[in-house]
Amino acid sequence: MIGGSLIVTLMIAHLIASVLAVEIRNLKLATIALCIQAFFLSSIFSAFASMSNNPSLYWWSLTAFITKVIIIPCLLLIYIRKLPKAEVTPVIGYTLSISILSIILIIFYRFVHTFIEFVAPTPEAMAEPARSCLTLSFMIFALGLYVLVVRKDAIKIVIGLCLLENGVHLSLVTLAPGLPETTVIGIATNVVIAAWLLLYLTGRIFKILGSTDTSILSELRR
Amino acid sequence: MTSIEVVESNLAVLVFVIPTLFSLIIFAFGRFSRLLREGLAFLGLLVTFLISIAIYQKVLSGYVLSAWKMTIYVDGLSALMEIIGSLMGLLIVLYSPRYLKKRGLPEEITPKRLGLYYGLLLLFLGTMNWTCATNNIVMLFVSLEATTLATTFLITFYWGKRASEAGYKYLLLVTIGVTFALFGCVLVYSASLPHLSGHEALLFTSIGKVAGKIPTSIVLLACAFFIAGFGTKAGLIPFHAWLPDAHAEAPAPISALLSGIVIKVGAYALVRTITVFAPHYNAIVVFVAIIASASMLIGICLALVQDDLKRMLAYSSISQIAYVIEGIGLGTYLGIYGGLFHLLNHTIIKGLLFLTAGALLYMTGTRSIQELQKVPKKMPITLFCFFIGSLAISGMPPFNGFLSKLTLFLAIAQRGLLWAAVIAVLTSLLTLACFVRAAYRIFWSKPAAQLATNPHSKEVPFSMWLGMGVLALLCIVIGIYPKLVYPILDSATRCILKILGG
Repeated sequence: MIGGSLIVTLMIAHLIASVLAVEIRNLKLATIALCIQAFFLSSIFSAFASMSNNPSLYWWSLTAFITKVIIIPCLLLIYIRKLPKAEVTPVIGYTLSISILSIILIIFYRFVHTFIEFVAPTPEAMAEPARSCLTLSFMIFALGLYVLVVRKDAIKIVIGLCLLENGVHLSLVTLAPGLPETTVIGIATNVVIAAWLLLYLTGRIFKILGSTDTSILSELRR
Repeated sequence: MTSIEVVESNLAVLVFVIPTLFSLIIFAFGRFSRLLREGLAFLGLLVTFLISIAIYQKVLSGYVLSAWKMTIYVDGLSALMEIIGSLMGLLIVLYSPRYLKKRGLPEEITPKRLGLYYGLLLLFLGTMNWTCATNNIVMLFVSLEATTLATTFLITFYWGKRASEAGYKYLLLVTIGVTFALFGCVLVYSASLPHLSGHEALLFTSIGKVAGKIPTSIVLLACAFFIAGFGTKAGLIPFHAWLPDAHAEAPAPISALLSGIVIKVGAYALVRTITVFAPHYNAIVVFVAIIASASMLIGICLALVQDDLKRMLAYSSISQIAYVIEGIGLGTYLGIYGGLFHLLNHTIIKGLLFLTAGALLYMTGTRSIQELQKVPKKMPITLFCFFIGSLAISGMPPFNGFLSKLTLFLAIAQRGLLWAAVIAVLTSLLTLACFVRAAYRIFWSKPAAQLATNPHSKEVPFSMWLGMGVLALLCIVIGIYPKLVYPILDSATRCILKILGG
């Protein structure tokens, strides 16, 4: 039996890794941070599996490990080798970005954790540690959206999309632990293919334009 | 009225397995010969079409087909989507071979790429039929995202700068949008769990029965996620940014597919999710009406200022899909009926218009209305088709668009949303202005003398105008004899209402 304190530790580690994946400007290191973030996600699934005696969650953990810890970071690293190593300089600098991020995260934490009944339909999801876990999933989701909105680098955008998906994936463990494995595998496979197609397109666009800056993709904006 | 009975049937599974299998064969062997890609693609679509017809007949005799412990559930609405999907697919496969041979492309089109093209077309149809067949709310997300993944490389077929950009935008925006919808699906599933046993809470057919018991806050949050998510796929304003680019930059047959079928899959997902809750919450009906009214009005205004013919058609699609969603969002019989009728009509009309735009591009090499104006054309069939499409989409009698729009106006007014009905009528008039102006400028203005020797001014080849002709004929036939499509639309509408418990 694994106690709630381990889950809390894992969740904090998950959050820190997510912030690192967003803020590190070196794309290779950011990818490694994403990989670690996904590893903690998979560990959280295992911890929940052990805590709630739900062995099917081990399968979730394995699926997340294969797709999010191994395949997606590998794809990212393969494509980063062909592309510029450093992120296209974002409009918002380090200090400001971290401040905005902290504010967003704190607001989301306070809001979702306090008004959990708005999003958690069952008493199980309202009790700790599921409550914090659900809150965390909304925070990661918001983090992913933040990246998608403010960052210009195509690789960073893929990382943001992965964060967004990981946030939803994390919410599944509290909201829908009874979801069949096939469905979970389906969701995870979709993310892998979407990430791969996006990276492939980024590679093609880099060949044509010589840049991974998505803000210059304005040929069609008239 | 006969009651609806659920029966087990393999047809419900075959309808998405067959095209997927064909697509795999084309991926593997399509590069070797024309027969193995175009021939097989045609055969696969034909078989799918026949299966859809078989399903249609079963549905009309009062059955709903199910398989795999109710996770596959094919009712009238699914049958409608499957028929129009495979019919459009067939016409597109007929149209494509000649069209793709066009001169002056950025990269040589190799047999390998053509194999990929036809394979993806079939794969899209397979995933789309899967979307329409699934009864599992989370699988709806999986299959819907799969349709997006399958169409991305169709949009980027030419691999130029603009096509790559359009494909990138499409994939990114729709994936983000649909992820929101996934959150909504999970919330609804989770909220139904206390009222249903584990497996059942995933099924739309069961969720419909407990929709009234789900907490209001969750319903509203989930519906907001659905509208943002599936609305992105359907191209509703303000989630439409991908749509004009993707429609304009894809090859014309793929534009017809996008506008005719792909955005309808988003509308279909909205039908399955939103209508479950619409009868219990008036706020959802009003919210959908506001978004839809804004989409139709802004969409057509943007269409009016376009010079690029395909972009104009794309913006008009935003405007027209809003009619479909507004009707469906009403949650009444007349509203859903009108919405589905317009969905069918819009597929036919917009398919027709995009294929005619393709024919013009094929012959003249330009999509700009201003330049098309200068080129002399002897294209009577294209002219005829464009003319019919323009009148039909503006809702002019005796074409099919008139009937569906009239039904929608009545349904909206009946529900008490007079302001929305006024906007819908106004949009229809603006559509007429937009299309008649375009048709006049393209076909009736006097070409400049110095270009009179342009060699590319004759009619397009038979295989290309055949599809256009069939669609134009359908516009007229359905307009004059709507009883042809009444049974399937009625059955689809009753199936939706049945899930609602009505």
